[in-house]
Amino acid sequence: MLKHQAPTRASNPFVKALPFLLPAFIIYIVLILYPIGNAFVMSFFKWDGVSSHKEWVGIANYVDIFTRDPVFVRALSNTGLWVVLSLFIPTTWGLLLALALNRKIAGQTIFRTIFYLPAIIASIAVASIWTWMYNPYMGFVNASLTKLGVENLIQPWLGSESVAIYSVFAAYAWTATGPNMLLFLAGLQNVPQELLDAAKVDGANQLQAFRHVTIPSLRPAFTIVIALTIISSLKVFDLVYQMTFGGPAQSTQVLASWTYFQAFSLHNYGQGMAIAMVLLFLTLIIVVPYIRWSTREEK
Amino acid sequence: MSAPALPKLQADRPLHRRINIISIAVWVVLAAVAILWLIPFIFMIFTAMKSLPDMYVTKAYSPPGTIYWENFQRAWDTGNIATYGKNSLLITLTKVPLGIFIASLAAFSFSRMRFARQNTLLVVMVFGSMIPVQVALGPIFHLILDMGLLNTYWGILLPYIAFGLPYHIFMLTNFFRTIPRELDEAAMIDGCSRFGLYWRIIMPLSKPIIATLFILDFVSTWNEFPIALVILQNSKMWTVPLGLMSFSGYFSMDYPGLNAAVLITIIPVIIVYLVFQRYFIAGLTAGAVKG
Repeated sequence: MLKHQAPTRASNPFVKALPFLLPAFIIYIVLILYPIGNAFVMSFFKWDGVSSHKEWVGIANYVDIFTRDPVFVRALSNTGLWVVLSLFIPTTWGLLLALALNRKIAGQTIFRTIFYLPAIIASIAVASIWTWMYNPYMGFVNASLTKLGVENLIQPWLGSESVAIYSVFAAYAWTATGPNMLLFLAGLQNVPQELLDAAKVDGANQLQAFRHVTIPSLRPAFTIVIALTIISSLKVFDLVYQMTFGGPAQSTQVLASWTYFQAFSLHNYGQGMAIAMVLLFLTLIIVVPYIRWSTREEK
Repeated sequence: MSAPALPKLQADRPLHRRINIISIAVWVVLAAVAILWLIPFIFMIFTAMKSLPDMYVTKAYSPPGTIYWENFQRAWDTGNIATYGKNSLLITLTKVPLGIFIASLAAFSFSRMRFARQNTLLVVMVFGSMIPVQVALGPIFHLILDMGLLNTYWGILLPYIAFGLPYHIFMLTNFFRTIPRELDEAAMIDGCSRFGLYWRIIMPLSKPIIATLFILDFVSTWNEFPIALVILQNSKMWTVPLGLMSFSGYFSMDYPGLNAAVLITIIPVIIVYLVFQRYFIAGLTAGAVKG
């Protein structure tokens, strides 16, 4: 530009950007980066979270959660189960719904609205609605099973150690399908019509066109859906907290809830932070390659 | 999109008919799934409209014989919904504009200015949107406690703004980058300051993305639970989700009252969603597609 200035401090481009960056940076550093760092440091201490006495214990908290805390192992495996189930169920439904809604179909907007609706409801409300659905005596689920003549399927849906985690997951799948559907729909809009036409001219049938044109063009959508699915599975907390409180007999604990209970209810703050670090580690395994991919794609 | 395909289909009659049958089959399946999808809502609404004795004698899936509106009055009074709604509204309507403003300043510098390590800084910021809040929840609680802000609006606003920033900055930076650079030079030559460029040129041109973020953030702030759970321990300060959490206690056996209360609290969000659907969908997909 037309400015002729001596290279003073003010002409340093970063200093010029600073007034714009500073508010966001301060808040981000103080309330996100510092707490994460602090959680890491505190994971090496024994502390009840209240008193002034903190004791350095090295990696003892990590050793403890892996060897002496059966709930942590359960929470870890439940989180793993949650990720796997999420990668299959709400994503497949989302894709199928998106494929169906990508046709010219009557009431398209209404369908889209209905399928997305559960995603905008507060998860605590979702939990409340589904807890009522699962009510053993007056809930919809058992009443319908009776009506359908399959009384033998009746369960205490949230009260059974083997079933409860799947019951909570069903409520989650109800909310997670809509967003996946939207992402796949956006991906389908990007499938080049010329390529589909060209495939038809070359004599491909619908299935072949789908396999060789649609699926490859959906690749970015798949990457986004898979990454977001894993990330949001690791964050699951509200539904577990409200529907089962981690029970019965800790059978529905996940990492996000167990770190909360350890730190805030059981006063094992250090162990809670060690669990938080395991959760952070698992998140980073997904997030780092995903951010690399998405920033490379942008260029 | 499907317009160019039409003439071809009409030329090829049998295929056209087959596709029509497929379309009808697809529609029927979609309708069935949609009804299944609505069942939790329908069941909740049915229960909210039954009197307590009615609920015990009727089947769970049968609609109410006569609508018992008193449930809603009782839910409103017993559930303290007015208090929680007021708190939520106050927090949300402060947090959302403030968060978007702070994020837009940063996004402006990421998209319109050049400085060393710019992209690294942007990646570090974006990274925050994917970290589960539980990772930092313990230290955030102690930080807010040390600042003396527990059970205050600022105590909840600061973490809310922090955790909203990454996504906002990401979306706004992407949008600002699509605004032609020639505008900057023209404005600078006309004597516009950098802040003037941001405030008078870039922000007015970004109304669509700002509207989108406003709606998305309104709903997610309104629905937020874990941070509110640790920061707002005084029930006078509770937001709607915290109120919902305790409803099962207030209405221990009063299921119609409980469902009426839940229904009252989700209606505003559903209205916001139905009115601003366009922005919702634009926002959710734009971020993804631009990746």
